[in-house]
Amino acid sequence: MSFLKSLTKYRCKCFFHLYKCTHLNTMSPLLHVVEAGTPVQGNDELEKNLVQVEKVAYSQGLPPEAVSIMLEFAMSLRMGKTVFASASKWVNWGISMWESFWNLIAEMQRHNFPINSYPSSCPCRASHYERNKKCDAEYKDGTDCLLFSSQGRQPFLLHLLSLYKVFCPELVTLSIPSRMKSGFRNHISPWKSALIAVQKRNGLQGASSISLVFTNKDKTNPRKRVCIFYWVCSQPSATQSSSRRVVPLVELHSFAQLLENMHRIELPAQMGSLLGSSLALQYLDCVQDESALLRLNFWLGPSQTSEEALQFLNKLLSAQHFLQEGFSSSEVFLYKFLNVWDGSLLRPQILGLLSNIPVVPSSRELLFEPLMQLFFTSSLFFKVGFSFADTNRSNLLPLLFKVNRKKINMTLSGFKDSMMELIHFVGRLASVGLQLEGCHCLLLSFVLDFYETVCDTFLKYGLPLIVMPPAGVFYPALFATDPVSVDRLAYIMHSNALNVQAFHISRQTFREFNHYVVVMVNCLWNSRMFHPGMGVQLGEELLLKSNVPQYGSSFDLVHHPAFMNYAVNFHQKVSHSKPWSWYLEYLFTQGYDGLKHFVQSNISWQLKADDGQVDSQQR
Amino acid sequence: ICFSVVRTPTDSIVAQRRSKNKSYRQSYRSCLGAASRLGHTPGWTVRRLNTSRRTKSHNITEKVNPEHLALLVKTEWQLSYVTPLYQFRHTQLRSYSRQLSAFITAEKQQGLAVEVEGTQTSFRVSFSVVQGLGETDDDAETVLVQIHSKPVFAGKDEAQKLVWSGWLTCINGNPEYLHSLPKDFTCLPLFGSRGAENLTSLVKSWFQQTFDCCFGPLEINQTCQQWLAALWTNCHIESSIQHLKMIWTLPVEPPLQITYTVNPQDAWELWNSVRTPLLERREEEEETARSIDIEEVTRFMQGLMSHFYRHFRLDLSAGRLSQVSSALGSAKFSGRIKMSNSRYVLTTLSLLTECALLKMPI
Repeated sequence: MSFLKSLTKYRCKCFFHLYKCTHLNTMSPLLHVVEAGTPVQGNDELEKNLVQVEKVAYSQGLPPEAVSIMLEFAMSLRMGKTVFASASKWVNWGISMWESFWNLIAEMQRHNFPINSYPSSCPCRASHYERNKKCDAEYKDGTDCLLFSSQGRQPFLLHLLSLYKVFCPELVTLSIPSRMKSGFRNHISPWKSALIAVQKRNGLQGASSISLVFTNKDKTNPRKRVCIFYWVCSQPSATQSSSRRVVPLVELHSFAQLLENMHRIELPAQMGSLLGSSLALQYLDCVQDESALLRLNFWLGPSQTSEEALQFLNKLLSAQHFLQEGFSSSEVFLYKFLNVWDGSLLRPQILGLLSNIPVVPSSRELLFEPLMQLFFTSSLFFKVGFSFADTNRSNLLPLLFKVNRKKINMTLSGFKDSMMELIHFVGRLASVGLQLEGCHCLLLSFVLDFYETVCDTFLKYGLPLIVMPPAGVFYPALFATDPVSVDRLAYIMHSNALNVQAFHISRQTFREFNHYVVVMVNCLWNSRMFHPGMGVQLGEELLLKSNVPQYGSSFDLVHHPAFMNYAVNFHQKVSHSKPWSWYLEYLFTQGYDGLKHFVQSNISWQLKADDGQVDSQQR
Repeated sequence: ICFSVVRTPTDSIVAQRRSKNKSYRQSYRSCLGAASRLGHTPGWTVRRLNTSRRTKSHNITEKVNPEHLALLVKTEWQLSYVTPLYQFRHTQLRSYSRQLSAFITAEKQQGLAVEVEGTQTSFRVSFSVVQGLGETDDDAETVLVQIHSKPVFAGKDEAQKLVWSGWLTCINGNPEYLHSLPKDFTCLPLFGSRGAENLTSLVKSWFQQTFDCCFGPLEINQTCQQWLAALWTNCHIESSIQHLKMIWTLPVEPPLQITYTVNPQDAWELWNSVRTPLLERREEEEETARSIDIEEVTRFMQGLMSHFYRHFRLDLSAGRLSQVSSALGSAKFSGRIKMSNSRYVLTTLSLLTECALLKMPI
């Protein structure tokens, strides 16, 4: 039976669109449509054309469209046992290139760059193919299914399929007789040698070192070999054939490459994959492509409520830290989440996210209310640790305070307003918190710490801001039983005094400030505490009932519970009464600098000769 | 990444916008002022459900393909919300069908080295457009996805059966939100599915990979269920609801589940009594096209709950409504919905679309 003779009628579909390939315009003989039914065997012209194509392919490389056309041509030939050499070569070529692309994609997927739409440079988009005995061989370009037939026995196809089976077993369903497998020890060589030849011609020698690493994982079971095929390129393969090729963002590994290819970057199909890459974030920040950013925000939404929240949030935080601003979807997420947060779940991450929220006037309801609820319903240590402590970075208020102003194009007055609001908010928290905790000294100390920072806003943030501590903070500090708190209060008042002199403030603030200074001096120095107009008003009968003699001086520097033991010490050390100023000096040497500054700046007195009593005035 | 454009109330200086496209997203943040960002900003009023809705019943049996309609109606769907799809084209549905079927087959066969003849099940996926379901031009066309496959031990000649179906839709979506999205995005926020869970997750992951979108669970919350109860009761005259059944869960130990079934006539009378009198409304409104306000719904539910309290001394408002059902459909808190009458499909889907849009990250 001569198949050669019986193969007079066959179909040959060739639509050579090679017109469109710019570097193949030397191949004009190929550029015509051939009718169906043209004999292939013995068709000299066709053979000549194929050889020409082959020559060009080896010398310059072919664009993907050309390859797909050649493959289509090869597949569409109905042939019997006789192998048409050139055509089968194309088939071999196509499939081995195909698997390389496939493996490259698999490799990228392994590195967490999910790819779903294959880059335009990939000619074959098949995701799987299967053998179906009954169907005809058909290859549709750019589609998903490649159906092979076993019309007659086409051993070359079977060999190639089994090769594919070796690399991606899950994608090929066919059963291979074991004797066929022996033919494929050296399958990589045709592709490898051809590729090296082409690259040499294109002058890329030494430019990219291609190493094929072939590891055979499971040697024991020949039927079920799983092989991992790495394609390692040291540089992205920049072919000279196409200058308008888009570069996928995932291929760039350095900033220099990013800059070089800035105009032709292709974003990955899934924006979420970019979160961990600082290069990608830089690109996004620069380009400000709204679709891309929207996609990223959309992806962030549901992901924030998923189970692997910790790692995800850490990644998100580092991205935000890198970009120095927050994502709007994480703001929205936070506003919803804060209402149900218990304060301890993922605390550092949530606080980190909070620090990226711009403090705008409208954030009051959304942000402050849930935080306030959280604060008031928690224990003392939680209050301290959560809100005020600056010892580690995971605390709330210092973070809120460190607002990144640069990204918000607010005017200075707008920024100042929002900072004032923030400080008032903290004042409220502090007042009520102190009441709830009975003026616990730990909380008080952190609150005073905060107000010390407030005094320094001009120094630290360039913002001329003066905010007095509210009464709920001032008085507990003044009457505190530990001297450190009083000292710190004095320091705060002293710094504010300096600030008052330095910048222009409102009348209201000035009045407040004055009032506090008067109260403090009268209390500590003039022994006129509880007198009318001195802040704390207590009725005469109550004061009498308390049986405290000379209640006016009950909180001065000698009788104040905080300083009482110093007074006693001083009195014990000193044999006879000494000038008042010596006592003060003694106090100041105990380290109470705040008190020292306050007294020195607000109080002047004239010493009488040998008497502890002084006339004092306040400045 | 926030486009940081804020117009402070004290200053009239507007900071420079960074991007050239004037987008809604940028503009809404510029109107922050003293108003809360999410609640009352002009334009973006829909971070809560609409407070009033039209109750017109739509006879869509002529507009919609009866096969599609038969599929939609009388089946229970599991709902999810989807973020807008990037570069989704209604013209490429055939290609999507092939891609999805290849994806599913590949996923199913992962790890299998050698084919065992006969157990191979091929999946045939078809994407189709359900025309006639939309009301406005802003809504993208509803897309229906069906997966057919041969049962596992089927004979050779057995036809493929429908094993999974799902749809993506947007009915009466908020036009401002839809317009604020760039051109590349298609907003089909409501996703319903029915079938094996593994197929659902495969379909979802394919969508996520192909269109860079995200799926999330959509619960039918209290307000939404109450709306449905009221809407169904309102339709009692046109199509009898046969009963109004509510299942409440009370937070006691052990949890108490109460099934409260109301006679349709009683429900109808209660409903009528809580409606705002007709005189206060515009006279042009037809009886059937009247709109319902949230206050009426609340009063209706209050009526039902106080009736229950009078009899059993149990305050249902302390609990949670976990299911509402009638002859016109059923809705469960877990996100399962069933629409049993084709006339009310559009109203139900608009309500659910609104719920889905509320879940959008931004």
